[in-house]
Amino acid sequence: MSFLQIVKLTIPVMMGYIPLGMAFGLLLSKLLIPWYYAFFMSVFIFAGSGQFLALTLFASQATILEIGIATFLLNLRHTFYGLSMISAFKDFSWRKHYLIFGLTDETFALLKTTEIAEANRERVYVWITFLNQCYWVIGSVVGAMLGNILPFNYQGIEFSLTALFVVLSIELYKKNRLHKPFFVALIIGLFGMVLFPPQKMLILSLCLAAFVLIVFKRSMENGK
Amino acid sequence: MESSYIIGSIIVAMLATYATRIIPFLLFRNREPSALIKYIELNMPVMIMVILVFYALKDVKWESYPYGMAEIIGVGVAIFLHVRFQNALLSIFVATLAYMILVQNVF
Repeated sequence: MSFLQIVKLTIPVMMGYIPLGMAFGLLLSKLLIPWYYAFFMSVFIFAGSGQFLALTLFASQATILEIGIATFLLNLRHTFYGLSMISAFKDFSWRKHYLIFGLTDETFALLKTTEIAEANRERVYVWITFLNQCYWVIGSVVGAMLGNILPFNYQGIEFSLTALFVVLSIELYKKNRLHKPFFVALIIGLFGMVLFPPQKMLILSLCLAAFVLIVFKRSMENGK
Repeated sequence: MESSYIIGSIIVAMLATYATRIIPFLLFRNREPSALIKYIELNMPVMIMVILVFYALKDVKWESYPYGMAEIIGVGVAIFLHVRFQNALLSIFVATLAYMILVQNVF
């Protein structure tokens, strides 16, 4: 897979991460935090909703311990992503630590749906993760430095991440041998969106999905 | 805001985020994943992805105008194009463009 093909693969994430990163940087500058902290946060934390949460907690002067606990709980969903990547990363070199560090919602989505020859896989995975992080870092720094003065109306561009998830759901549906988990997840997602509190919707829905998947293993595997 | 507070928070948030991502790798470092884990590994991703779609739509105000119409149309366009042409970039690009036009000019 050529470098250009890898870049092409990450374009949807770029369309989402740059404006979203800019929104993050803008918010950070509104709290009167110097712009280089946007850079450090995006380089060292690299968690979209986690960084927004950190800003909210900064604003309310939460303690460092509270910030740690809240971030951990918010990002707990990533544990499920890692669980789906164990065999994929198994034979990789030390670079897998960067892959694990960079396993955001969107990076996970791309890694899980890209078909790559075994010999190339580690290199392509590292590039995808790195490019995604670059978009995020660039967006947040630009937002923190000049988000206030940019004239372009990019309202709504973050929908590219929604569209990315839609497209990848279809891809995984076609790829998966079992089709029932897809339909069960549709019901759980809809249910979670309507009934769970928004901040906890993702982790609660994922736990419910894992629970149903395990408890109803036999009926999931029956039929198609 | 003091810089020691911000730097301390960044380090803690970094460790907390990394912890959530590395837990499963630490748990299964030395043993072969069981049949159940393999089953989860195989079937959880599609469920995660579908739930992420709903997660991305969690802040939509369904009960008041425009009743999430821009989101429904955007998702509809993405599904239609992707089933029809199977070109991920095209589906995402056109759906996002449609959504942007809708939220900026129509609703």
